[in-house]
Amino acid sequence: MANFESPLSGKILELNLEVGQAVNEDDEVIVIEAMKMENPIYCPATGTVKELKVKVGDQVNEGDILAVIE
Amino acid sequence: MGEYGYSMHPYFKEMPEVGKALSRELKQNIEQIKEVEAEVAQEADRVKNTGKATEAMNSKGEMTAWQRLEYLVDPGTWCPLHTIYDPVGNEEGNTGVIDGLGKIAGKWAVIIASNNKIMAGAWIPGQADNILRVTDIAKKLHIPLVWVLNCSGVKLMEQEEVYANRRGNGTPFYRHAELNQMGIPVIVGIYGTNPAGGGYHAVSPTTLIAHQKANMAVGGGGIVGGMNPKGYFDDEAAEQLIEATRKFKSTPPGRVEIHYNGTGFFREACDTEEAVLDTIKKYIKDMPAYHPDFFRVADPAEPKFPAEDIYSLVPFNQKRGYQLREVLARLFDNSEHMEYKPDYGPEIYCGLAKIDGYLCGFIGNNQGALGDYPEYTDQYKGIGGKLYRQGLIKMSEFVTFCGRDRIPVVWVQDTTGIDVGDIAEKAELLGLGQSLIYSIESTDIPMMLLVLRKGTAAAHYVMGGPNANNNNVFTLGTATTEIYVMHGETAAAASYSRRLVKEKDAGKPLGPVIEKMNDMVKQYHDKSRPAYCAKRGFVDEVVNMTDLRNYCKAFVGSVYQNPASICPFHQMITPRVIRG
Repeated sequence: MANFESPLSGKILELNLEVGQAVNEDDEVIVIEAMKMENPIYCPATGTVKELKVKVGDQVNEGDILAVIE
Repeated sequence: MGEYGYSMHPYFKEMPEVGKALSRELKQNIEQIKEVEAEVAQEADRVKNTGKATEAMNSKGEMTAWQRLEYLVDPGTWCPLHTIYDPVGNEEGNTGVIDGLGKIAGKWAVIIASNNKIMAGAWIPGQADNILRVTDIAKKLHIPLVWVLNCSGVKLMEQEEVYANRRGNGTPFYRHAELNQMGIPVIVGIYGTNPAGGGYHAVSPTTLIAHQKANMAVGGGGIVGGMNPKGYFDDEAAEQLIEATRKFKSTPPGRVEIHYNGTGFFREACDTEEAVLDTIKKYIKDMPAYHPDFFRVADPAEPKFPAEDIYSLVPFNQKRGYQLREVLARLFDNSEHMEYKPDYGPEIYCGLAKIDGYLCGFIGNNQGALGDYPEYTDQYKGIGGKLYRQGLIKMSEFVTFCGRDRIPVVWVQDTTGIDVGDIAEKAELLGLGQSLIYSIESTDIPMMLLVLRKGTAAAHYVMGGPNANNNNVFTLGTATTEIYVMHGETAAAASYSRRLVKEKDAGKPLGPVIEKMNDMVKQYHDKSRPAYCAKRGFVDEVVNMTDLRNYCKAFVGSVYQNPASICPFHQMITPRVIRG
C-alpha cells in the first residue's frame, strides 16, 4: 500500500486515474496547475488504484493524499 | 569492436541506462508539432523554388547549386543550415547561399554553395552574415570549408547593402586567410563568371578547381560605355547606350586559358560540371582526418527508443512539463549516460553520453516541480525551466571539466529564465549567471545548442547561447521553439501596467490601452515562432524532431575529425568526478 501524495500545491487539471486501474511507477497520471505551469505528476509505485481522493478542479496542498495505490 | 581497442572501457563501454518505453502516443501533440514542421518545410521549399527554373538551367547544361550539393555530399550525411535565413528581409527572401555540414568522401566538411538560380549567385543583402557564420563553423570545428562557387558579384541595385561595412561581403576574404593561417583548408570549385567580389571569393581559398567555362577576375568585362560624361541619363544618352550595347561583344577576363594555362592559379580545370565535384572529393579524401574510430570510446549504437517518441514527449503546450531525460534517451547511443551530480541543482541535467561512439557532454533544463528547492528560501518552491543557485554552479563546474577534458558540449535549452527578486539576488544569481558565461568563455571547446522549447531572458544567453561566439558552433530550433526576452503577457504588463492605473484614475476608458497590450502579446508571439527565429538567425536551422540526433552526430563527428587540442582519455577528470 502506498499513499500517492501531491508533490506541490495547485489545482488538479487532468486526472488519468480510476479506481481499480493498474498503474506503473513513473506513469504520468495527474496534471497539477501551479506556478503558471501544468506539471505532470508521476505515479510513485506500481500497483492498482485502491482509492481516489481528488477530482478535476480540486485545489490540493503539498503532501495531500491524491490516491492510494495497492 | 572497430579497428582499435577502446581507452577507459570500464567507464565508457557500458554506461548506466536512461529512459523507458513510451507509455502512450499523444496524437494531438504529434499533429501539432508536425503541422509546424510542415510550415517550416514549406518555407524551405519556397527558397528552393525561388529564381530560375531548374529545368531551364539544366537545358543549358548548368546544374543548380542544390544539384551540385547532392552530387558532392555523401548520401545521408547532409545537415543543412541557414536554409531560410534572411536576416534583412531582402526581396529574394534568402541570402543567395546554401550551406550546411556534410561528409565528402567520408570526411566532414562545412559546405557552402552560391545559389546560381538567383542573379547568377550575386551578393545580396544578408549574404555576408551568412558566409561569416559558415566560416566561423569551420574555424570552431577545425574542418575543411568547401565552396561551390558561382558568384556574379555585387547586386548593383543594392550595392550599399552588400559592398561596404565591417561585416560586409569583403570580410569573408579575410576569414579565408584566417582559416588558411590556422591550417584549415578552404577548397573551391569554380563555375560561371566570377568578377570582382566573385573573383576574390574564387582566389582566396587554398585550392582552386575550375570548370572549363569558369572565369575569375579583378573586374568584369561586360560594362558598356564606361563613365557617363553628363552625370545623368537622357534620351540621347540612352540611344547611345543602345547602339554601343548592340555592337558590344565581351569575352570575360580571367578564363581558364588565363588562370590555368597562364597564371596557374587554377590547380585543376575540369571538362564537366560533375568533374569539378569529383575533383573536390579527390582533394578532400587526402586531407588530414583521424580514422573515425580513433577518438571513439565505444562502438556506435542507436538509442534503445525510437526518435518518433519525441513527438509525444515534448509537449506542444508550452505550459506543460515533461521529462527531459526521456528526450535525451532518444538522442544518446544505446540510451546510456553518466549523470553529473543528479542530487545537486535538480533543475539542471548535466551528463556524459556517447553520440556515434564519441564522448559528448549534455546540459539541459529539467522540467516540473522541484520539491523543497531552491535551498535558499522557504518562501516559494522551485520549478523546472528556471535557473537557481545550485543549477548555475553545477553548469559552471561541468562546463569547466568538459573544457579541461576537451569534451564537446550540447546544450538543450527549455528555460524561462533565472530566478528573480531580492531573495534570488542575495543568493548571488546575477553573479552566478555571469560566472557561467565566464566559465564557457574560459573553455576552448565547440558547443552546439538545441533550443528544444523556450529560450528566454538571460538564461538563453548563459546556457551556451548563440551569443557565445567563440564556442557556439550552431544553434538548432524545433517546431516547439520560442525565443524572446520574456513572455508577451509579462512584457505587456511590464510596459503598460502604470498606464492602466493612470487611465483608470483619470476615469478614461481602458480599451485603447488593452488593445495595445494585446497587440504586444501578438507581436511577441509572431516574432518568436520557429520560422521567424530561423529567418532572423536566432537559430541556424529549424530541425524535425527525428533529425536531432543526425545533427548531434554531424557536430560531434566533426569535432573529433581533426581536433586542434586533445585530452587523453585516461587523463580525463569528468568521468572520475561523476563516478566519485
